[in-house]
Amino acid sequence: MGNSRDRLYRMAYAWTHDPQLADDLVQQSMCKAISNQKQLKDIGAVDAWLFRILSNCLKDYYRARREVLSSEELVVIDTRTPEQEAAELQLVNKVRKAVRKLPTTQCQVVTLVDLEGFTYATVAEIMEIPVGTVMSRLCRGRRALRESLINIRPEQQDKKSVSLQRIK
Amino acid sequence: MKKDEHISEEQLNALVDGELDPEEKSRMYSESELSPELDQRLCRQRKIKELVKHAYEEVPQPRRLTGAPLAPASLFGRSLVAGALLVLGLAIGFFGERYLFETRSNGPLSIAPVAATVTETDNYILHVVSGEPEHMYAALQEARELLDSAGEGQFRQVEIVANENGLDLLRSDVTPYADEIASLQARDVVFYACSRTIERLEEKGVKVHLVPETDQNYTALDRVVTRMKDDWKYKKI
Repeated sequence: MGNSRDRLYRMAYAWTHDPQLADDLVQQSMCKAISNQKQLKDIGAVDAWLFRILSNCLKDYYRARREVLSSEELVVIDTRTPEQEAAELQLVNKVRKAVRKLPTTQCQVVTLVDLEGFTYATVAEIMEIPVGTVMSRLCRGRRALRESLINIRPEQQDKKSVSLQRIK
Repeated sequence: MKKDEHISEEQLNALVDGELDPEEKSRMYSESELSPELDQRLCRQRKIKELVKHAYEEVPQPRRLTGAPLAPASLFGRSLVAGALLVLGLAIGFFGERYLFETRSNGPLSIAPVAATVTETDNYILHVVSGEPEHMYAALQEARELLDSAGEGQFRQVEIVANENGLDLLRSDVTPYADEIASLQARDVVFYACSRTIERLEEKGVKVHLVPETDQNYTALDRVVTRMKDDWKYKKI
């Protein structure tokens, strides 16, 4: 695991899969953390506090871009070129592709639990949602990943590009 | 119905995520010993968790167009945010002591007591993010008042850093306050235009012209963090 900057950046990258955007979100988060440092009452909760700020920065970003009608409903864009498709055969890219296809809120829960090892209670605090919602999002997210990565053979995968869409 | 189906996915997740108490964990492990199906489900769940972890062990670093070069790639960003954490730590009192955040390669963000007493200084970094003229004016006014209120013989430094919409303050073709800025520069106030904001505007095709003597070599956050590490006081306008 990297240092604290790397941790925030890695999480932002896992949420966006865009290095520039991830970097911007981390820097913006740190600006907000400095401005709002008095809000941190419990020093032991600094991890959750910083990741909550990061999560809120992502929400603000989507709100500003008006890309998301509801982050719960978001399916992320896939505009791979043939060369990139070939690279997707590599395991890491294949997993990232599957994560990228998750709705943002499921992606956030899965990565907070799997990358940072946060407890469900901490993830609930970061995302400001009930623990039950964390569990159900995690369940749906992992199920989708399992179907993408384990149950479906490569030739069965949908090769069509997908664009931003509602899934309900 | 298969005999392991009473174990829900939520329970399997809780097991692989270490959320179960020891008793419940033992019960599920015992069941998985007796049920190859359950054992297989458990393995798949673990595999997904491990795959996700593995996929983000190394992530691509951002490209920077201007500002400090990245060598090694993430050094600038790392020090920047580590600095921000340091500043946060300096600013937070805990049990009557001052602490700073220490960035380590493992574990949660940790806190260590600061050995030396933090020296009080009386320098200010003002941060302008708003493009509203009244906010820009307020920043300039604040700088002027800070300089005026310095005690006799006291050397007080004031700097103004502008980013986002606040950059308009320093754009020579936009700002309504070029004369006020010049008069403050004459009193040694330094103005910084955020290099990242300039980059973004230029990417959109906006040509950025800055008032003379504006420093554009840093991002706003870099400047703020550097100054706060030097114990300057920070004020966002």
